[in-house]
Amino acid sequence: MSTAARTTWLRELIRKPFFWGVIAIFALLALNVIKDPNYLALSVNPVNGNLVGNVVDILRASAPILMIAVGMSLVIATGGIDLSVGSVMAVSGAVAMVFMKDAGQSGSVGVALGAIGLALLVSAILGAINGVLVAYIGLQPFISTLIMMLAGRGIAKVITEGQNTSATNDPFRWIANGFVIGLPVVFLFAIIIVIIVGLVVRRSALGLMIEAIGINPKASRMAGIKPTGLLLTVYILSAVLAGVAGIMSVGTVMTVDVSRTGYQMELDAILAVVIGGTSLAGGKFSIGGAVVGALLIATLDKTIVFLGISSSATPAFKAIVIVVLCLLQSDRVRGWFVQRRKPPMLRTPSLPAEPKKQEVSA
Amino acid sequence: MSVQRRFSKFLGLAAVGALTVGLAACSSGGDGGSESGGDSGELTTVGFVAVGPEGAWREANETNIQDTFTKDAGFDLKYAPATNLDQKSQIDAFTSFVDEGVDVILLSATEASGWEDSLERAQEAEIPVILLDRGIEPDDTSLYVTRIAPDNVEVAKEVGAWAVEQFPDGGNYITLEGPAGVGVVNERNEGWNESVEGSALVQVAAQTANWSAEEGKSVTETLLKANGNDVQLIFAQNDEMGLGAAQAVEEAGLEPGVDVKIATIDGTKAAMQALADGQLSYVHEYNPLFGDTALDVVNKTLDGESVDSYIIVPSEAFDSAEAAQAVLADRKY
Repeated sequence: MSTAARTTWLRELIRKPFFWGVIAIFALLALNVIKDPNYLALSVNPVNGNLVGNVVDILRASAPILMIAVGMSLVIATGGIDLSVGSVMAVSGAVAMVFMKDAGQSGSVGVALGAIGLALLVSAILGAINGVLVAYIGLQPFISTLIMMLAGRGIAKVITEGQNTSATNDPFRWIANGFVIGLPVVFLFAIIIVIIVGLVVRRSALGLMIEAIGINPKASRMAGIKPTGLLLTVYILSAVLAGVAGIMSVGTVMTVDVSRTGYQMELDAILAVVIGGTSLAGGKFSIGGAVVGALLIATLDKTIVFLGISSSATPAFKAIVIVVLCLLQSDRVRGWFVQRRKPPMLRTPSLPAEPKKQEVSA
Repeated sequence: MSVQRRFSKFLGLAAVGALTVGLAACSSGGDGGSESGGDSGELTTVGFVAVGPEGAWREANETNIQDTFTKDAGFDLKYAPATNLDQKSQIDAFTSFVDEGVDVILLSATEASGWEDSLERAQEAEIPVILLDRGIEPDDTSLYVTRIAPDNVEVAKEVGAWAVEQFPDGGNYITLEGPAGVGVVNERNEGWNESVEGSALVQVAAQTANWSAEEGKSVTETLLKANGNDVQLIFAQNDEMGLGAAQAVEEAGLEPGVDVKIATIDGTKAAMQALADGQLSYVHEYNPLFGDTALDVVNKTLDGESVDSYIIVPSEAFDSAEAAQAVLADRKY
């Protein structure tokens, strides 16, 4: 009985899409360990007491992806998509860097907070434009955010006058490079923000309403949910989170590279969301899944470098890992394997086994 | 229905806007033309088919050309940047220069292939064409007068020679490359390998960091860990990646310039500053300022003298903080 309960529990777990994401993360880590047995070793930097290790690097690298993936999962849940997050990252980074440069390279906390505030404000405005285009004017999300994706990089270039801009400000740098009780600040920030967003969305009716819009906009409107305000909120939230990601991203090197900062990050975000089990068709979403997806992408990026895969083969390696993962997630593909293995066993007991088989293959 | 109408109205507005911009551009071009017509007695008209906004290097390069071919120097330069790096817009500009009958055409092609027809037309019209920076494919030297450009292979070779000289007993090095498959990356690798081959230097890794500081840092951080910090040299194929790598080296508890030497190519102001501060150890410029050479070639060509079909622009190397300090103040890009 207990074994049966355990197998159903296991089966439930396997059914969770992000289960395979977690497996993939462990598989990649194992691959690294095979190359270097000390891969997972964490040491403490004797000078400042910070944790040092590859896993710490992965956590740091995952922070910006976490931000945009969470924002993206909400947008996708409404049945939309936000292609502008990468460009918003560049704009936010550009605003912050130019502000700090003009503030005269001082190291004050005030300047850092000012830069962050202004960057997030500009990001929110860009998000609001996306939201208005989608919610009030009724343009397709793909098109309106595509416009913002193209325009955003232009805006970033205008802000920095086409130059890569650097600035110095220690508090700002600390956000991306600092440590608190040995852990990287940037990851702690990211996790705190994810938890806050998760609580707000799941503890209130907000998440439910977002899903309702994504599943059936007409029915949800008839049930009394006003889609416009919600859509606007979701797009603003996505852009603000992208703004945070931009700050984290430019903070690591204290330089904004207008053509490279956040470049193609929207694709990483969409991938993270999909790996986490949120359907691009909208509806149910999983923030936990997006977190797993973001961690997986960071792990994958770092693994490619660690294993020394040649740069021309990098895209292919990445694609293979993701395709395999998506195949594993597919119920149908898993069903084939189970069916192929099971038939002789299933045929020996009589009819009662039949529904069980269907359940597996469904 | 109403949405559709509103949308078409909006489209109309956008079209009017685009037209206005276009007209403004036209009129300013026209002004230049009529002005030159007034006192065209001595002025030589030069059509410059340029790349346009691309980055700091390109900006320095094209500003330099524009500052060289001035009215005071006896030239009327017509500057035609490509729209969004589009070759079609360059070919259009090129053709209209041929039709106008300018005296010389300067060409920085956004794409190497597909120029044969245009160049043949210029040849029929007896207008000499001088290539700036970018070459063409297939490289048919009969179609143009000369190509003036810094040489990537040569520059990278010098970086490699410096590295070999710095590490006579050998050492481990990392190469940070640009995106895979780009011409510049191949040329810079080729030059580097030519120098380093046969030396005691060992390449422990080569990875792309996509010309970006952020990726340069992230890649270096991981590569240092993968090699247990046993890396003595980093060859970054542009300044940005090198600057990122320097930060990763510092964070790994190593000292740039002492434990790990970093060499970069391009020579932007930021890199010169880093060299002066001891973050980088060697910066080889990829010189964008060859207006004077171009001026010289144009004058020679118009006088009927022959010039070499490829003129390499000399680029300087900077291998010490003092050398960088000396040029930092009046670095243009």
